[in-house]
Amino acid sequence: MTLAVFVQATCLPKEERTLESGIEMDAFLREVEKRAYRITAASIRDADEALDIVQDAMISLVRKYSGRPAEEWRPLFYRILKNRIRDWQRHGVVKGRVLSFFGGQEGETYDPVAQAPGPSTSNPDEAVARGEAMAALEKELAKVPRRQREAFMLRNFEGLSVSETAIAMSCSEGSVKTHYFRAVRRLRESLGEHF
Amino acid sequence: MKTDNMSEDRALEERTKLLFNKSVSSLDPQTRSKLTQARYRALEELEGSAPAAPAGWRPRWIPAGVLAAGVLVVVMLWQGQPAVSPETPAFDVAALSDLEIILGDGDLGLLQELEFYAWLDEQAEIVTPESAEGGVG
Repeated sequence: MTLAVFVQATCLPKEERTLESGIEMDAFLREVEKRAYRITAASIRDADEALDIVQDAMISLVRKYSGRPAEEWRPLFYRILKNRIRDWQRHGVVKGRVLSFFGGQEGETYDPVAQAPGPSTSNPDEAVARGEAMAALEKELAKVPRRQREAFMLRNFEGLSVSETAIAMSCSEGSVKTHYFRAVRRLRESLGEHF
Repeated sequence: MKTDNMSEDRALEERTKLLFNKSVSSLDPQTRSKLTQARYRALEELEGSAPAAPAGWRPRWIPAGVLAAGVLVVVMLWQGQPAVSPETPAFDVAALSDLEIILGDGDLGLLQELEFYAWLDEQAEIVTPESAEGGVG
């Protein structure tokens, strides 16, 4: 524990600690919210539901873990998010409407290109090409086994370390490495022509 | 062969990461706004704060400031009252009477004969004891 954290935890009045925690938490959520949303949207393939799930995960993190050191928030947040996504799919909140990302069903009504974010570039051709490539990636990711997909998204998309990913996935670091390696190889084989 | 595999793995990792980052940075404003609202909603859960905006910078000295401003206003109003006492009228009653006489007369033509009134005053002051006696007698 650093000196600053120790002082904060022991010396500052309760109100001051809440204030500091609020500032830190706001900065953290601001940093992760967009990436979390994209990961969730890619996982469940429903933009509106993705927003609800991300908000739910944010609230849960603040309620349960705002008192924990800020360094722990990222893996804890993604563990919550991962569980929310899984719950949402498991209980079939919108049965028959959404392709289950982790289940890998066919016959989808979700259009990845239509759901893709708007272009931020002035080059339409580039934006279209990027949208198609991202759509192809999401489609192939849907076919990857769930644990491999989680490891890939957390490590590659979100940039979590192996240890943070292990916390988020509630597994060992060795398992993370294995899942990640297999996901990369599988995607490389399936996406070769697109990439 | 193993090196080729690793470099291809690496290329795929970089390519997919780039695509994902681009998709994040090009999120539409409406979605960004909704995410901001979701963040504020989550921050409301923090104990002792219900911020419509991020907690932390809300000035907690507002109650003291309001109190100080109230006291200042009261003092200023109190000191700004005219120092009126029963012994000292706030204005010249005689001057007001003169004004009433002049304006209340209704004969505005007289105002144009100020020289006449000046002469009249002058004559009244010139009255001597001799002339007074002669006048009476």
